Amino acid sequence: MQHSRIIELTKENKDVFTLKFDSTIAARPGQFIMIWSPGGKEIPMSLSDTSNPPTITFRTFGETTKTIAKLKVGDRFFYRGPYGNSYPVPTGRVAYVAGGTGLASVNAMMLKYGGDVYVGARTKDDLFLLRNDFRIATDDGSAGFKGTVIDLFLPHVNEYDYIFVCGPEPMVKTMLDRIDRKIKAKVYISLERLMKCGVGICDSCSINGVRVCKDGTVFSMEEVLSLSEFGVYKRNEAGKIEFFVNGKR
Amino acid sequence: MASISTKIGSFSLENPVILASGILDETSGSILRSLKSGAGAAVTKSIGTEERKGYQTPVISEIGTGLLNAVGLSNPGIDNFVEEYRNFPEKKKTIVSIFGGKVEEFVSLAKKVEGIGFDKVELNLSCPHVKGVGSEVGQDLGMVEEIISEIRSKTNLQIWAKLTPNVTDLISLAKASEKADAYVLINTLRATGVEIYSRKFVLSNIVGGYSGPGVKPVALRAVYDVYKETGKEIIGVGGITTWQDAIEFFLLGAKAIQVGTAILYEDYPIFNKINSGIRDYLDKEGFSKLDDLVGVMVGDATFKNH
Repeated sequence: MQHSRIIELTKENKDVFTLKFDSTIAARPGQFIMIWSPGGKEIPMSLSDTSNPPTITFRTFGETTKTIAKLKVGDRFFYRGPYGNSYPVPTGRVAYVAGGTGLASVNAMMLKYGGDVYVGARTKDDLFLLRNDFRIATDDGSAGFKGTVIDLFLPHVNEYDYIFVCGPEPMVKTMLDRIDRKIKAKVYISLERLMKCGVGICDSCSINGVRVCKDGTVFSMEEVLSLSEFGVYKRNEAGKIEFFVNGKR
Repeated sequence: MASISTKIGSFSLENPVILASGILDETSGSILRSLKSGAGAAVTKSIGTEERKGYQTPVISEIGTGLLNAVGLSNPGIDNFVEEYRNFPEKKKTIVSIFGGKVEEFVSLAKKVEGIGFDKVELNLSCPHVKGVGSEVGQDLGMVEEIISEIRSKTNLQIWAKLTPNVTDLISLAKASEKADAYVLINTLRATGVEIYSRKFVLSNIVGGYSGPGVKPVALRAVYDVYKETGKEIIGVGGITTWQDAIEFFLLGAKAIQVGTAILYEDYPIFNKINSGIRDYLDKEGFSKLDDLVGVMVGDATFKNH
């Protein structure tokens, strides 16, 4: 367990925060850390900036994130990692496609290599880390394109050499179902699954024997397409299979 | 080239390196991956009668000499397990670990496991951190004896008894389990860990199990003691990370070994790595087969039935 101090805690929108912590870590974009709220839970979190000092960007959806968001500058911050693999270094034109807090993961990549960012959210109030040149899609049309980020992005898919994707599994599944699999671009996807250990031994995040935490979180499109469980079912904390809505093939 | 095949009762293994229960063995896909990566067999995560989430995170903590864990027997429950594993292709190479709090639970689990075509169970009589099951059951000698004889009389399963080292008298426990086909020694040691800057425990459950390189000497002692006393077939487990570790266990009487925590350090290549190390050692030391190595340092074993 590493311990550090919080340098900055920024409220990005109604429930998204960016936390900068005083550590020097050798992390690459796409990697994650396990953050720990002492006496509470430990959860995985993508680094939203892998330069030093690093940052995480998170939505307060549970007890741990809510506790962390209430911390103050100077408070101790506990974590272990970085873990997982990283996005490959791109060449040529680069696009990032992010849904929800998936933006945190590709943000680290965008800061380092630049490129066009396509981001999707429910409403304009759910957007965060925005820059002027981001291409935005909202479900209700309150900002940018009305519809999903997939609808916004797919017409441009042939403009790119590298495409990096991070978002909820149903979003990624929709994209894989609709994308032309013969496109010239190399597509890499960072997956999200329930994780407990973060280091590849507990089997909580495995999809067809592939561990999101250790073999990923970043996989090529071809690898993801080879996983028959992907987008069909996930597992709960007990390891029980739970089908996604419309997940049955 | 020397043979590294081995046998536990009537069960023939191509090689003696088995995936231990609790590590990367909840999902059928991961068990297949271990078998494809060179494991001679694999033991599933322990399955109970009901779905169980296990403890909240943190459930693991890495320390210098190994790993602390209190996952808390998370498992989908036997009925969901049966659903997932009904058409599993490697049932003969897979041993299903089961746990319960009562004799009848063990028997019912064993029957369901046998019902879908598995032929071996490992009894988790030793999980050190869940109340009412595991080592709490495993320390009740009368109950251990009854669990094993009931499963023996009501199924045709091969029975492996995984015993707890967290007792003062391991030999009595082993003797209470002697109707099992083999002993699995050892499970993790009851332990805890502290984070000094938060002044909190590192595991949400406070108490967990200690595994990894640091427990190897304890496991070796357990294997030695039980082999010397009973001569029964033993699967050695506890801190095995290298082929040299594995050889140590064979010399003291283990016919096969299990690896778990070492996957944290070596990942899936560990199975082939240990196997080729064992083969090399046998060749260079002039043994034609693994069996010739088993128990050679325990000259005064009461009897040898391998």
